[in-house]
Amino acid sequence: MGRIKDSFERAKNQESKTLITYYVAGDNNLNFSKKVFLKLLSYADIIEIGVPFSDPMAEGSVIQRSHERALSSDITFKKILSLVNKLRVHNQDKPIVLMGYMNNFLSQGESLFKKIKNAGVDGLIIVDLPYEESEFFYNKLKDIDLDLIRLISPTTPKKTIEKIVKFSSGFLYYVSFRGVTGAKLSNFKEVQDNVKYIKSKTKLPVVVGFGIKEGEIAQKMSKISDGVVIGSRLIDIVQQNNFRLNDSLKFLEKSLKKFRRDVRKK
Amino acid sequence: MTNKTNNYNYPDKNGRFGSFGGRYVSETLISALEELESLYKKIKNDKKFQEELTNDLQTFVGRPSPLYFAKRWTDKLNGAKVFLKREDLNHTGAHKINNTVGQVLLAKKMGKKRIIAETGAGQHGVATAAVCARHGIECIIFMGSEDIERQAQNVYRMKLMGAEVCPVSSGTSTLKDAMNEAMRDWVSYIDDTHYIIGSVAGPHPYPMIVRDFNSIVGTELKKQSKILFGKYPDKIVACVGGGSNAMGIFYPFIKDKEVDLIGVEAAGSGLSSGKHAAPLSDGSPGVLHGMKTYLMQNSDGQILGTHSVSAGLDYPGVGPEHSFLKDMGRVHYEAATDKEALKAFHDLSRVEGIMPALETSHALAWVSKNAKKLKKSDIVVVNLSGRGDKDMQSVAKADGINF
Repeated sequence: MGRIKDSFERAKNQESKTLITYYVAGDNNLNFSKKVFLKLLSYADIIEIGVPFSDPMAEGSVIQRSHERALSSDITFKKILSLVNKLRVHNQDKPIVLMGYMNNFLSQGESLFKKIKNAGVDGLIIVDLPYEESEFFYNKLKDIDLDLIRLISPTTPKKTIEKIVKFSSGFLYYVSFRGVTGAKLSNFKEVQDNVKYIKSKTKLPVVVGFGIKEGEIAQKMSKISDGVVIGSRLIDIVQQNNFRLNDSLKFLEKSLKKFRRDVRKK
Repeated sequence: MTNKTNNYNYPDKNGRFGSFGGRYVSETLISALEELESLYKKIKNDKKFQEELTNDLQTFVGRPSPLYFAKRWTDKLNGAKVFLKREDLNHTGAHKINNTVGQVLLAKKMGKKRIIAETGAGQHGVATAAVCARHGIECIIFMGSEDIERQAQNVYRMKLMGAEVCPVSSGTSTLKDAMNEAMRDWVSYIDDTHYIIGSVAGPHPYPMIVRDFNSIVGTELKKQSKILFGKYPDKIVACVGGGSNAMGIFYPFIKDKEVDLIGVEAAGSGLSSGKHAAPLSDGSPGVLHGMKTYLMQNSDGQILGTHSVSAGLDYPGVGPEHSFLKDMGRVHYEAATDKEALKAFHDLSRVEGIMPALETSHALAWVSKNAKKLKKSDIVVVNLSGRGDKDMQSVAKADGINF
């Protein structure tokens, strides 16, 4: 559990909150996404690699289309792991987390854990992982020093929060509103209260994600938490540039620099 | 199998049917599912609730549905005696309404102001629109854009009853994508919305609730067959897409081992063609729509596109209890092709004057193929789950006729 823990420490030492980015492997092809991830690795503290699924139930339209494009470029789990491997050659310090849906991870069988460890993955976020199976995944990942990052939402009862944090490691991901990725933020006060409550129940860092599109929101959210996750916004940028590589990377860099400043403690 | 059948009491406290079922959804939905489960457990045996439900089933749906002897078809098949459990005579034309009249009462008890549903063939959408109109509740139906085209009349019926129909064009633009979209809507409006899932699918407690509300079909059949035959049927046959009509008629008979239960999936262009919707016959276990069950998927866990002439069976998964019943061997699952189903559709229409839904026609196709192999004294009951009025366009198209 080295890299994730270190990344939060490092951000702290630099008087900053943690900046986490999400992008989908294989959107709109493997090589394009590799270039995007390399860019993200140079500005973000942690990168989440979206594992595309044919039925991404928790995603808004931007990320849905991204999954669809990735799948039509013939992305496979094997290719994603070799992508991580290549990214690791360029960067040995920053955590890489796979985020996806249960069925894609299940399809790998028991060898999943060994494969992701060998590729250089640091943790998993499984959107539709049920409680009863979280202990199993937590222990399996713990055995190989990887983290199981769990989501907590505004509708999670307080009692359940205590259950969730028990089988979580790395950090906790607070979903900022009732909705799918990329929708608009609703209630800041609620986020503030819930993050505070979660932090009273765990020593793990708590980050906020879903709906963080603008610097202003990133700033507000990072003040009350340990970091923010930017996802749909990045895919938006690439889409707006029609997947032209140089333009996409240029505008991503601009946006990332801005988010970087926004999460700095002031 | 014997022990498991005798003590059959599923789902367990985690919402599991053996290793199947469960609750694989994003965290935001968990509390709503827990609320639904605890309310349902509390009121399912409540006398007042049961009275209200029974009254609706009798006066709004038109229950009990008759058990009909298909005499001319039996003569033609020259084998076992074939009876039809006439769910096609229900209000709105299919078994789907058994579930929606129950779930709308649950929604009201929870104080929900808005109801959403997914639909494939449109029967569940129509059945939901009807109960919402009757109770004056806002109703939004998610439907794949491909299905909207195939089932234009049902779309209009829903609109006439005041429902809003939202086209879904993500993924394959069919039932599975409509279900994804309904889940996304539900996450976004969780506080005031109830999601009426139309099949014995989805996260716990849906497979249980939808089964329970539909099991009125099997419960009635038990009484009717005791009176009519002095015994239970030898075989009960039902089509299986998500599997709600089949679960409804099978469930009360699970412990009665002398009754053979046969579920018929959609073999589309044939099981070997890969173009079908038969996860139990040619799929593998995985997770979709909040449940672990047999799915049509590739080795990476991506869900495959399906094909069936009937929109209602065009689904890559199946209710988790069916997966469980398959593995324990209590229900026997087979499949019928588009061609066989269409032939059965025509046969029943001509010989009995009953036009079955294309979904139902798959169950009839199994009977066509197998009645002759059975004893003449055997009694086969087919769950005639829906009427075929909605399928005129598809049947005409298959016959090369343009309106």
